[in-house]
Amino acid sequence: MIQLFNICKSYSKENSALKDVSVHIQKGEFVYLTGPSGAGKTTLLKMLYGAERPTRGQVLINGQNVTRLRRSRVPYLRRQVGVVFQDYKLLNSRTVYENVAFSLEAQGKKRYEVAQKVYQCLKKVGLEHKLKSKPLELSGGEQQRVAIARALAVDPLILLADEPSGNLDAEVSLDIMELLKGANARGTTVVMATHDLHLCHLFPRRTIHLEAGRLVNDSMP
Amino acid sequence: MEAIRYFLFRSLRNMASSPLLCSAAILTMGVALAAVGVFLLVVLNLQNLTKDWRDDIQVVAYMDKVPSATELDEVLQKVKAFPEVETAIFVSKTDALQRFTKRLGEDSDLLTGLRADVLPASLELQLKGEYQTRNAVQQVADRLKSELKLEDLQYGKDWLEQFESFTTLLELVGVVLGGFLVFAAVFIVSNTIKLTLYARRDELEIMTLVGATLRFIKTPFIIEGLLQGILGGVLAVVILYGLHHFVLKDGLQVLLLTPAGFTIEFLPREMQLAIAAAGAFLGVLGSLLALRRFVRI
Repeated sequence: MIQLFNICKSYSKENSALKDVSVHIQKGEFVYLTGPSGAGKTTLLKMLYGAERPTRGQVLINGQNVTRLRRSRVPYLRRQVGVVFQDYKLLNSRTVYENVAFSLEAQGKKRYEVAQKVYQCLKKVGLEHKLKSKPLELSGGEQQRVAIARALAVDPLILLADEPSGNLDAEVSLDIMELLKGANARGTTVVMATHDLHLCHLFPRRTIHLEAGRLVNDSMP
Repeated sequence: MEAIRYFLFRSLRNMASSPLLCSAAILTMGVALAAVGVFLLVVLNLQNLTKDWRDDIQVVAYMDKVPSATELDEVLQKVKAFPEVETAIFVSKTDALQRFTKRLGEDSDLLTGLRADVLPASLELQLKGEYQTRNAVQQVADRLKSELKLEDLQYGKDWLEQFESFTTLLELVGVVLGGFLVFAAVFIVSNTIKLTLYARRDELEIMTLVGATLRFIKTPFIIEGLLQGILGGVLAVVILYGLHHFVLKDGLQVLLLTPAGFTIEFLPREMQLAIAAAGAFLGVLGSLLALRRFVRI
């Protein structure tokens, strides 16, 4: 599903975010991407949804070479990849319903399809009763659940989560983990960047550890 | 059709969701276009004024000896055959005195006791529009001298020279000032739109993240620019109308030292439409330029 071959990413001569990283992730896997701040976790995730291109090496998503993808084709890659961020990235001026519907509308889905799908997804994350609320009226955990609903609404092949519980307390983090595990159980490949080792121990999965841009450990539980 | 409706709906909702930004953009465009419009209004009326002056350009040939009817016919025919001449009128001595009396009005008593032939007879030539220039007037004068032996000519040579340098200066100032105003309008409008897009950069970023194509992201903003531009253009025409009605109509009359009977005109309908169209063009152009900066996939 995800293949990285000798990925290097440099922003300047002295500053390398990733150094010779090669990783293969199978369809349906759940993988943690760990490492301290500045290790290159976010850069690696960005490569998977086409926001960054490697300076050297190749990135293949579902057999498609992202490195050679034309800019105009990037949106179509992103329709296969759902992304969840630490800061949720929700539109605060729109309702919960509109936020989730947004990703479906962007893909040109019909209005009745959108309505049905949004309701299903919000039900999955337990927020179907907050359709009309605005994000700022919700708690952090609820906002992240909306973000997950938005990412899952398009039935992505891959779900990327960049520190999804970074801003949340331990109890809420567990709820978020349950949602990600649920998506994985339904067949979505999940790659989650985190520096919360406690979570990794609680839900042991394959862990790829990065340090200073290098892959230092790739271990199965 | 559904796509158009969807994009239009999104544009209108965007405008409604940030009324302050939207009004600021429309107001800026309106004021910028009104500035260009005021300039157009001044130029248009100056053109009308100089056209009136140009229409007054004529060559007068004074005749020492009154020609006989046949001679006069011959002279008139010859003169009318000049390509530059629009009309040629013979003013007899009596006609000249009558005109002068009329012009003196209440002071016409001064002329009592004068003989009817005190003023010379003359030939007044009005020139066609394209020949109302210094060179053409000079050419007509030369031909009158050489072909018809009319020596006593009056055609305001010095005045014509001054008039032409004045109109050349006016055109130059027009191009420079007009160019500057249009440039300023484009600059202000594109920056205002940039500000409105800057306020929505999160929305733009999220759209790119959820797999929206550039067309999907940009279209509502371009429609928004178009609508704001048209509204800005209409606002500019309204501002101009108000300015014309309450200030410029009298103000310009004094400033331009216009002759009696000359009224300061408002922009013709085509120019009003052109201002609205310029607003639409500016809105779309401004949106496109700003989007190039803020939407990166």
